[in-house]
Amino acid sequence: MSHKKRPSKASAAPPVVKKAVLPDQAEAALGASRYREAIEDYKELLKQERRPAWLEGLAAAYAGRAEQLAQKGMVKEALALWRTRADMCGTPLIEGPYVGWLLEAGEGEQALRLLAGATQKLSPDAQRQLETQVAAAVLMAPDSALTALAADSPLLRHRAAAQAALAAFARGDDAAMAEHGQAIPFRSPYRDLRALLKAFSLYRTDARQAAVALTRVPADGPFEPLAAVLRVCVLPGEAWLASLHSLNEVGRALVFDIKGWPEERRPLVLELAKLSDGPASAAMLYDLLARHRSTLPADTAAQLCRRLLPHAPGRLKTYSASFGALCAVEKDHILALAAELKRDPEQAEDHWLMLVERLRADPAQRARAALVLRRLADERSRYDRGRPPDEDALAWLAQSLELDPEDRATHITLIRALRVRSEPKELRKCLEAALARFPDDAEVLLEAVETALASGAFRKAAALARRVLKLDPINPRVRTVVGHAHLSHARKQIAGRNPVSARRELDEAAQWLRTNADHGSIKLLRGLIDERREEGDALLRAGLAEMGCALVGSFHLVLEASYTRHDPKALLRRAGIERNVVPATSEVVALAHALNAARVGDKAVQTALDLLSDVLRGAAAEQFAESDQLVVCEALHRHNQRAMVRRYAEAALRRWPARPVFVYLRASAAYGANPWRMPQRELLVLDRALELAQASGDQRTALRLDDLLAAATGHIGLPGEDDDDYLDGLPGNDAGTMLEMMLAALGEDAFLDIVRKQLGKPVFEEMRRDLGGNKKQFIRALIELLGAIGPPPGLGDAGAYADPLPIVPLKPPPRRKRHTAPPDMQKDLFDD
Amino acid sequence: MTDPYRVLGVADTADDEAIRAAYLAAIRACPPERDRLRFERVRAAYESISTERDRWAHALFDVAAPTVQEVLEILSGDLRPGCPDEQRLYRLLGGR
Repeated sequence: MSHKKRPSKASAAPPVVKKAVLPDQAEAALGASRYREAIEDYKELLKQERRPAWLEGLAAAYAGRAEQLAQKGMVKEALALWRTRADMCGTPLIEGPYVGWLLEAGEGEQALRLLAGATQKLSPDAQRQLETQVAAAVLMAPDSALTALAADSPLLRHRAAAQAALAAFARGDDAAMAEHGQAIPFRSPYRDLRALLKAFSLYRTDARQAAVALTRVPADGPFEPLAAVLRVCVLPGEAWLASLHSLNEVGRALVFDIKGWPEERRPLVLELAKLSDGPASAAMLYDLLARHRSTLPADTAAQLCRRLLPHAPGRLKTYSASFGALCAVEKDHILALAAELKRDPEQAEDHWLMLVERLRADPAQRARAALVLRRLADERSRYDRGRPPDEDALAWLAQSLELDPEDRATHITLIRALRVRSEPKELRKCLEAALARFPDDAEVLLEAVETALASGAFRKAAALARRVLKLDPINPRVRTVVGHAHLSHARKQIAGRNPVSARRELDEAAQWLRTNADHGSIKLLRGLIDERREEGDALLRAGLAEMGCALVGSFHLVLEASYTRHDPKALLRRAGIERNVVPATSEVVALAHALNAARVGDKAVQTALDLLSDVLRGAAAEQFAESDQLVVCEALHRHNQRAMVRRYAEAALRRWPARPVFVYLRASAAYGANPWRMPQRELLVLDRALELAQASGDQRTALRLDDLLAAATGHIGLPGEDDDDYLDGLPGNDAGTMLEMMLAALGEDAFLDIVRKQLGKPVFEEMRRDLGGNKKQFIRALIELLGAIGPPPGLGDAGAYADPLPIVPLKPPPRRKRHTAPPDMQKDLFDD
Repeated sequence: MTDPYRVLGVADTADDEAIRAAYLAAIRACPPERDRLRFERVRAAYESISTERDRWAHALFDVAAPTVQEVLEILSGDLRPGCPDEQRLYRLLGGR
């Protein structure tokens, strides 16, 4: 090591020539809180002359700088600077924040010594403030450290009571704590401790009251650490857990002590506190509980983890190691729920059915098996929304009733399903079984009423409805059903040219029905059968007036004309309806509501809309409110009025461009019947709308767009499952042949788009680079590769891109899974 | 809290009667005009387990995962407020 002496900086550097400091300069630095600069300036000035003003300036600059340091947590440095200040400027050490900093730095004893020596120099207020500041330090200090304090100091006089109250608090002796607390006077330096202990005693019985009591304890008092602990304790719910991290280790342990948490569970709670800070996944919570299972009450961890398993099915493997093996029933149950959560209805059905098989073997579990079967039927119907229940759903409902014939809800579900499917023989059998088991059940009787109505047995329906009303006299639904049954019967009589019976039925209907629309219908029907022409026309007009507006009235009049085999145009003329007047927006919205109440598939509705189509077309360009325009579009969409929906949706998109729901309605109207004809640009528009709908949380529109995209692209499932089955159905079950067909059908660019998407960008791009950008060679290489290894899953949906569709699946595709993205348009392909 | 039994404060084995009694007590203690959210939670809990079939269905089909709060409530169900450890208390206040 070299010991060569280096020249000192002082000798190497040129001599610094100090500029003369002006008093204004020093003041300016102080005023601008540039304390270090101010200290140097005042020191220079004081070298020239020891003026009191400059001394005060230096003291202020030191104080400012020390405060800055303390604020940064540099308390020791602040204390040192304060001592320098006292030396240089002759200021008393004890003034200002010095004692507080001493306490903060853990130098309580020094603070007490200082206090003992300086109290007589302070004003009474400053002295009281100082005493309050050091109260906690005095309380905790050994007696030997307090000898310098004046014997009459409240710090000493009230200390014993404060210590006794604290000890009673630690023992849980509320009575002693209250007694000693009362011995602490209101103005004592220990008053905050008294208030805190009072709040603690309240906490044992009423946390809210404790929280109120705590608000009376000033923040940053001498007992602030204890106050902070109690503030966390009284927080509601899990908020205290999230606030634990604001305390130090001792404070956290005290929170646990006060809340009564046993030591062995505290590590688990501290980890829960970390989870509660952010989004906790089921797997994270599962792992935590499994790790700490031994500290939890018997079976608690196992139960909680079992509930988490459907959300974290990957943990099934480790569950048995932690908690013991699950039985087959539990496993199927968890896997069924997990599949439902993954939105995989096929897998869910498989597991549910396995569960049913296991449950039905045990007579005590048959009712549960029945519930699972009903659930399967419900889920299938939910998935196939809008379509009649399929054979599987019906079979599951029937099996469910075999297992649990007392389940009234399943009887009703099955009756409704059979009614929708128009299976009269089965329906009658099922209804009879339900009525035999629940003869006096209003809901079952109501189903019988509706079934009778659906089969045209009006008298029977009315009789059954009266039975319902006997059981439930204020049942509004049956009142409507009875009234409508009479109305329907009246229509039947009118159609059969039997006005006497029709009048009788209308009189009956009038007794049951309450709404204006129903009374309007009655008047319209009376008008139809009135032999006196003028009176009949007047009744028709009165009926229309009851309907609220001309458009809705016309709609109902055409419906009644269709039901009673009258000429609708002639009736419109008789009622004085002009069919070339553009209706107001409110009338169109009212018609939409009437359409929503009408049965889908009713030919009379179609006839009415055909007759009103001119006026509806004319109204499409009117200025509807967005919500009204949507109501109209949806009502027309419900009745499959594609041309009209398209017109209204396009009008809406002109005013609210790219609104996802209108994009869906327009595309559905334009391509819903032949979705495979949808061009690529339309797919892109739909895809953007889907993203928008998802971003805005419009789940319904997102699902509808998703369905439409799936129908348009012919996509049948996410890659990885079942696709092989699908490919089996394609003509020429050979991957190479199929790929050639796809290439021919789609064209090169679209084919490459699909392959790129399926192979993944890295592999695709690497191959492309290897072939030097020669497109033809590249396509051949891809076909060879895919022919050799088999097409990737999902590469069978060529129909999505062909126009017209060249390849059609020969067997129904398996149930499709949710979210199918439309083809990714790779515009940059082969740019070179 | 997602567990209807805990919302109503009844055991997993409670029967129709016990559940109805707990429900009536809960809505008396918390009428809708006082705390609408809690009232709705209580009502939803009751509707999900009011009959035996409902309870079976709940056990079979409920997929609500326990939350951190629920776990905490379960774990703290048997706790009673305790006393602070004296040494910790003194350490917190700066004692040695």
